[in-house]
Amino acid sequence: MVFPFKIFLFLMYPFIVGSLITGCVSYRVIKAVEGRSVPNIFAEFRIGMTTLQEALQTLGAPDQVAELEGKDILIYQQSLLSNSGLSFGIPFTDIWGPSFNFSAYGELVRYDLVFLSFTPDGILSEIASEKGLRYPYLKTMLFDKKGE
Amino acid sequence: MLVFFLQSCAGWVKNRDYHPFDASELDKLTPGKSTVAQVTEMLGAPSNIVKLSNGNAYIYRRSLSKGTGLWLLIVSFGNYDKHYDQIVIFFDKKNVMTHYGVTLDAHKAAYGLPF
Repeated sequence: MVFPFKIFLFLMYPFIVGSLITGCVSYRVIKAVEGRSVPNIFAEFRIGMTTLQEALQTLGAPDQVAELEGKDILIYQQSLLSNSGLSFGIPFTDIWGPSFNFSAYGELVRYDLVFLSFTPDGILSEIASEKGLRYPYLKTMLFDKKGE
Repeated sequence: MLVFFLQSCAGWVKNRDYHPFDASELDKLTPGKSTVAQVTEMLGAPSNIVKLSNGNAYIYRRSLSKGTGLWLLIVSFGNYDKHYDQIVIFFDKKNVMTHYGVTLDAHKAAYGLPF
């Protein structure tokens, strides 16, 4: 009769430990990507030469369109959200009252952007791009200044 | 291992924002000929209209997003992937189409993990 009881304990022990751990420590990682990757177009596009038609054929439909001081602006972008969190708690509420709970969370949204400005005639007049996705998550989160 | 799997859970979510475009319809768009009336008859009401220096841009946008969640005892992972089908049509001041750009990318939305 002792043998089945030992098996019962052997099976229950991992469940109890697992349940306690689940309540005390947790770590999460979340990633969200929106939009397609933005190509590097500096090699192909020339200010004063590239036309609106060529830009649309190469890059497709822009994510944003606007008019700014008489010029037409096209913006292509991809965003990457990274979120992680670590939580650690010791639930003493039932036996003592106060409990310990430590947690740290971080969220970073990075963008790859291409900005194109066209004259009313449809000729490229300005170009700018940003490769935000190249910045590593932890380094960008932990250091305030670029490159440190 | 048994505890690991019994305490685990996974979930998937799929969101589609409006019906997809009919790609075969896009061949009927002719720069210099197609008008606002013809385009709206073909594609319906645009998602947005933007005033430009020499006319207007009609923006048609659809999206497809897929999310994955995985909970393994003390660690949880989430992944969300959203892509768009977009058509931007440029019209001159006479409401005649001058250019258009098409991106059909929504089908690239995928389930996955964040690494």
